[in-house]
Amino acid sequence: MLHLRSLSLLATLCLTLPVSAASAAQREPASGGVRAARAADSPVGVTDAGAMVRLPAGSYRPLYGRVGDPPTRVGAFRLDRDPVTRGDFLAFVRQHPSWRRSAVRPLFADRAAYLSNWAGDLDVGDAADARRPVTSVSWFAARAYCRAQGKRLPTVAEWEYVAAADASSRDAAREPLFVQHLVTLYSGRSRHTPEVATGAINAYGVRGLHDLVWEWVDDFNSVLVSDDSRAVGGRDHSLFCASGAIGAADPSNYPAFLRYAFRAGLTGATTVSALGFRCAA
Amino acid sequence: MHRHMKLGIVLLILGTLVICASCVPADAADDTGDSGRDQRAMAAAGPSLYDLPTTWVTQHGDTIGLTSLAGRVQVLAMVYTNCAVTCPIILADLKRIEAAVPVEQRGDVGFVLISLDPDRDTPERLAEWAAQTKLDPARWTLLNGSDDAVRELAATLGVRYQMQPDAEVAHTNQITVLDRTGAIAHQQIGLGEPAGITTNAMLTLLR
Repeated sequence: MLHLRSLSLLATLCLTLPVSAASAAQREPASGGVRAARAADSPVGVTDAGAMVRLPAGSYRPLYGRVGDPPTRVGAFRLDRDPVTRGDFLAFVRQHPSWRRSAVRPLFADRAAYLSNWAGDLDVGDAADARRPVTSVSWFAARAYCRAQGKRLPTVAEWEYVAAADASSRDAAREPLFVQHLVTLYSGRSRHTPEVATGAINAYGVRGLHDLVWEWVDDFNSVLVSDDSRAVGGRDHSLFCASGAIGAADPSNYPAFLRYAFRAGLTGATTVSALGFRCAA
Repeated sequence: MHRHMKLGIVLLILGTLVICASCVPADAADDTGDSGRDQRAMAAAGPSLYDLPTTWVTQHGDTIGLTSLAGRVQVLAMVYTNCAVTCPIILADLKRIEAAVPVEQRGDVGFVLISLDPDRDTPERLAEWAAQTKLDPARWTLLNGSDDAVRELAATLGVRYQMQPDAEVAHTNQITVLDRTGAIAHQQIGLGEPAGITTNAMLTLLR
């Protein structure tokens, strides 16, 4: 459930949309970041242990930033090939009882909603359910799970960098067909999540980033506003410090906008029925 | 334009209209003196913030857990000392709240500033800044923590922040009032406090 306290923030963000849409025609020229990411190609593959994918260092152009800023660098890292499944998470709560549905501290998860799609503390449903991505987990729970595996949650930058890839290209973020496909996928998300194996594999070998569930990132609570929000009359210094520094640098990337808007409604204890996670290292 | 994309945009704009209905009063607040930005008074006895297993270093160099804040009503904000624009306003708000505390109850209220810029806001720097801004060490605690501790506290309070390339930290301006157990009693989001709602929330807890 989204918390009310986040709504005004989400509203501030949303107000920027018509502006972004109106300026969508002003497509930026191919950025240096795209070339850098392609130039950084190196062997990519699934590792044996824990089914992780090696991602090469590269860079990408974030949705929010000043136009003209250099692309954001992303160092080499590893990312789980698949989102964490209910079966995976069951093994975790067996070993860590404080993260079971009946025991979790309310500070760390909205108790009424945490793992609410499970039948019980240790009952995820049938075999097919065990293969679905775990959802209705809070950021705190996702972090605890990753830590227990010796991993961590990916950052926004890492996640977005990988998410720019479609099935054949590492940077398809501005390809009209891919954009259209993602908008359709996001609008069709429901509480009935598909099994992980049905996820599409992208050019890096990462599965189901877009077609399964929303995913937590470690720094989901990075601020994001635009100073061109019309209804609040420019820089809203009342809500944000240094808010004038940030604006949507890439208005053509609607799917990224949707992801940022989604994250804007979350707090650390929030759970959502279509929000899961995967770990990085 | 592709049909699906057009549909998606229409849906987004519709969603914007619905959601933004809630933020109109915030802008109207300037005219009416009513405060749309003073958000909700949360239900009492929520989870304690002090359950966060994080450790911090105070401006005096002491290492503490958040539980050491228990027992007093605490008024919290996340700021950074190099902030030129809004943090002085937050500080002014906090000092106004402080001034409203009845003299005989001054020992029952604490003020906590947590740095969003722990690399530069060392405990020494925090001490220096506390002296410059004349914060009474009997009541004011300034905290330096790891990036991780700051991230977790911010995620719990609903504070959003991001380091900027020019070394500014963009962040939400927010003041939180905690009851004596560390449960969030009230949050003010945005600056200025025309109706004194945050002050009243604190005074209510002192009764």
